[in-house]
Parts: sequence; structure tokens; C-alpha cells
Amino acid sequence: MKTIHITGILILMIVAQWFVPASMIYNQEHAISDGSIYKFKTQPIDPTDPFRGKYITLTFDINSYQTTDTLWKGREKGFAYFTKDENGYAVLEELTPEKINSELDYVEVKIRYVSKNKVRFNLPFNVYYMEESKAYDAEVAHRDAQRDTVNTTYAVVHIKDDVAVLTDVKINDISIKDYVENNKIIEESND
Amino acid sequence: MSESFLKELPYLIEQQLITEETAKAIQLHYSSKKKPQTNSLFAIFGVLGAILVGLGIILILAHNWDNFSRSIKTIIAFVPLLIGQGLVAFSFFKKKSVAWKEASGVFLFFAVGASISLVSQIYNISGDLASFLLTWIVLCVPLIYIMRSHAVTILHLVFCTWYACLSGYFTKEFEAFWYFPLLALAIPFYWKQLKEKPRGNLTSIYNWLFPLSLLISLPILIYSDVQISIALYILLFGCYYNIGKLSFFEHKKLRQNGYLILGSLGTVFILMITSFRWFWEETFTGFLIPKEVVGLISFLLVTLFVLWYNYSKSRLAANNIFQYLFIIYLCIWALSSASPSFATLLLNILVFGLGITAIQLGVKRMHFGILNYGLLIIAILIICRFFDTNLGFAIRGLLFVLVGAGFFAANYIMLKKQKESQQ
Repeated sequence: MKTIHITGILILMIVAQWFVPASMIYNQEHAISDGSIYKFKTQPIDPTDPFRGKYITLTFDINSYQTTDTLWKGREKGFAYFTKDENGYAVLEELTPEKINSELDYVEVKIRYVSKNKVRFNLPFNVYYMEESKAYDAEVAHRDAQRDTVNTTYAVVHIKDDVAVLTDVKINDISIKDYVENNKIIEESND
Repeated sequence: MSESFLKELPYLIEQQLITEETAKAIQLHYSSKKKPQTNSLFAIFGVLGAILVGLGIILILAHNWDNFSRSIKTIIAFVPLLIGQGLVAFSFFKKKSVAWKEASGVFLFFAVGASISLVSQIYNISGDLASFLLTWIVLCVPLIYIMRSHAVTILHLVFCTWYACLSGYFTKEFEAFWYFPLLALAIPFYWKQLKEKPRGNLTSIYNWLFPLSLLISLPILIYSDVQISIALYILLFGCYYNIGKLSFFEHKKLRQNGYLILGSLGTVFILMITSFRWFWEETFTGFLIPKEVVGLISFLLVTLFVLWYNYSKSRLAANNIFQYLFIIYLCIWALSSASPSFATLLLNILVFGLGITAIQLGVKRMHFGILNYGLLIIAILIICRFFDTNLGFAIRGLLFVLVGAGFFAANYIMLKKQKESQQ
């Protein structure tokens, strides 16, 4: 291969290496600035990813759809359409195997399994990365909060076109990062 | 070895076995050889350093610093990438040494990973590890050819295999099939090494890494059927054995020929586990799914092609069953659902034949390793039958004594023959 060709490949590679993360950033930022904000009620736990660090996995209250439709057999993905209630919490309106013409905001979901009259699925924004030292505390804080039925934990999600960006997880309207920080300070002052 | 040899030079001059000029020429020859050794050592440490720094950066970023704002984090995500690309461009345009090219290539490889992972982390993108690895590998493939880097090629192979294991083991989807084009993208580089440095150490490493990668990734073609797995693996090992028999590998040491060793050992392993009757009676053959059909047909075609190529170059030995064993095996495999007992009997005969073939090859080439390999195959076959036949203890004992005696006798006769031929 001639040097000019290799130089061309080198330039293409550098452009691609910038383009991929940059387009990821552009899509997410676009959804954050222009997308509708939804709250999804959730329950977090904390595993680790070898490259991306500590995160909490969220399991949402919205995780299934009642249907007797036979079209779901063997499907691996679907499209969930949402509206909001008066408090801003997401309400699942419809789950369809293919994209439909609708004004509603939607996300693509992964189908877990289909039983007789229910389709169980995973929402695509179920990972929230946290600072290494806070992930476990966040799980504990959430577990404690769950015992008290007055507490509500929810994820803040921006949805625009087919991009959904999870920007925060909140316990009683306080960001889980600050919630963990505050709890630490209270515990230290008690000690 | 050259060091100790150089020490002998004064003695050889003293004994008038060589002249002083010859001694100087020898010294010059070895000192000129020393230089690349230092260079390669420098390259190895450079690569190790780059791997450690790259991984370190990934870990530092994985801490997920809460104190930084989203925009600061986003800028930080591009810093390692910028440094890596700068180093690669510098090594390339300034035509730097191999060590520079290897180390900068490896650093950029990890910088790309760090950059994508930090962006995923900032925006909580929940894509699975497999798709993350796929993007990472694709973005770094050109580095193999731009830097002509062995370290990046090895990383590419390891990451491709990791991707295959994560995305497609025993699933119905075709998603993991990306593994094949990814592997194919590294083949031109490997081919060049085979042609330019057929005896090079790194070429020998590739002779092992490429077949090992495919061997580990093969379950991406399988969903759940054990018997399909067996058929696929016997085809793969048949293909490896025949690749190992190509004229290309003829004058190489056995340890440099990963294809031949993996093909032979793998074939024997598959034959041994399927020589039990329970295997054919108890493993279930369900319905084939599309990706299994695609896998079986493509591997059959490739293996038959390599076999035909060996035949056309007169490299197919009729007395070497290893080369065409996969065809016999597949016939028995097809027969097995009709009569499991008959299939088992035929397989046992086949293993025995394989043992005899190896012994014959060993005797013909006066090679103790191959001779004992053949004897070992027969011994393992007998041990396997020890567990699942109703033969009496006396007969089983007698069989063991006979095989043991066979080991001694065969080795003794061969040793004697070797001594005679040396005289």
C-alpha cells in the first residue's frame, strides 16, 4: 500500500474516532435540551462494569403490558409510547411490535418474555453511573427509603425522537448523589 | 547460545581450526544480529507501558468524578484520544522505530476505549458490553495496517474473541456474526507475515492465535444442540488439520504449526467423548435453527475446499486418516439416529484406526512423539471402554497389560531401528 493511501486511512480513522463519541454526545444533548421530561418510578441495585465503572441498575415499575395480541411471539424488541400524569410520572399508553404513527413520545424496548396475556420488557435507560464510592451507598439508601412507603424513587428521563437520556435518579425529589452525600454527613456527625 | 560460542573462538583459533579472519567475521555477524534484539526488547517494554497507561486511564475515568460538570467530563473524554492520535500521527509521519509505532498504536487503542466508555458513562447509555466492544474494535482496525503493529493485531484478536463470547454464545440471533468480518479484517496482515516472515516468532504466535480464536468463538454458530456442536467442531478440526498439512507449513517445527496440533488433538478429543454409547442415546437432536444450518454448510464447504486443495497439490496421503476423517465421521453422525449402537461401534473402530495411523506415521518418520501419540490414543480408548463395557476384570486387565507391553515394545523396536540407521 502506498503512503498516500495509508495517510488517507489514518485521517479517516481519526475522523471516525472523533465522530463516534461526538455523535453520541450530540444525540444525547439534543434529547436533554429539546426532549420531554418524564419521571419513571424505580428500584436501583449496584453492579460494576469493567470499563465504565460503578453503576446502579434500575428496575422500573413500568415493565409489562397487558395484551392478547399473538403478534408478539418470537419478538425481541418493541416500541413503548408514553404520556405523563399530573405529577410528571410516565404512563405507558401502548406497546407495539412495530413503530406506529403517533404524536406520543416513545422508546425502543427489549422484550424479555411473552406470557399468555402479558409482554414483559426492559426499558433502555436502566443504567445510572455513579462515583465509585457512592454506588453501594446509593443502593443502601434506596433500600432504606423503600421500606418507608412515603418515599418515592424515580428516574428523570429526557425523551426526544428515539433517544432517551437518563439524567438523574431522585429519592424524594433529591438527586441520589446528594442524598448519599447528605446521609454520609449525618452518619459522620452522629458518630 | 551465540555468547557461549563467541567465548570458544580464541580456543578454536589456538587449535588452528579457524583463522583469525574467520573469527572476526563470526564476531561481526553476531554483533550485527544483536541490534534488533535490543530493539524488540524496547518495543516489548514500550507496548507493556502503553497497555498499563491505557488501562490506568480507563480505570481513572471509571471512577466517575462527581465534582466535574458534564461539559468538563466531555472534554476530558477526548484528551486521551487526542494524545493517542497525536502520538500515532507523529510515529507515522516521522517514520519512527517499531517500538514507537507499537507503543503509540496500543495507547491509541485503549484511548479510544476510554473515550467511548466515558461518553457512555456521562450520558448513562446502557448499551451492553458486547456492542461497546464492537464499536471499539471497529474504530481501531485501521491501526493494524497504519502502524503495522503486532500488539494491536493481538489485541484485536483477543477483543474479537471476547466480543464473540459475550454476544453470541448459544443464542438464536445472528448478531455475533460480526465476529467473522472482524477476524477477516486481520487476515491480510497475517497473510503478509506468513509470506514475509514464515519462520518468525510472531508468525508462529499467529499460527496459534487465529485458530484458537475461532475455536473459542465457534459456539456463536450453535444454539442448544450438542450433536450439531460435535459436527461443527469435527469440521473445524478437520479444516485445521488440512491447513496444517499445506506445503506452507511443511518445513516448520511442529510447535509452530498450531493448526496441525489443534486439528489433531481436537479430532481425537471429539472422537473419544463420542465413543461412549450414552452420547448417541441420550443427547437430543432437536430442530436446526437458521444460523446452525448456515454454520454447518459454510464449514463443510470450507473444509472440503481445503481438502480438495491438498489433493490437487498431491498432499493428501491415503494412509493418513486424520486428513479425511471428518467425512467418515459425518457419515457415522448421519447414521447415528437410526442405530446408536452401530455408530458407537464404528467410532471405536475409527479411533483405533487413528491410533494405528499415528503409530505408522511415527515409525515412518522415526519420530518418538508421534509414535507415542498413537499409542496414547489406543490406551485412552481402552481406558474409556473400561468404564462402559461388560467385559470381565481378567480380560480388561489383560488388555491393559497388552497395551503397556505394546508401549515398551514399540519404543524399544524404534530405538533399535534408529540406532541401526545411525550406524
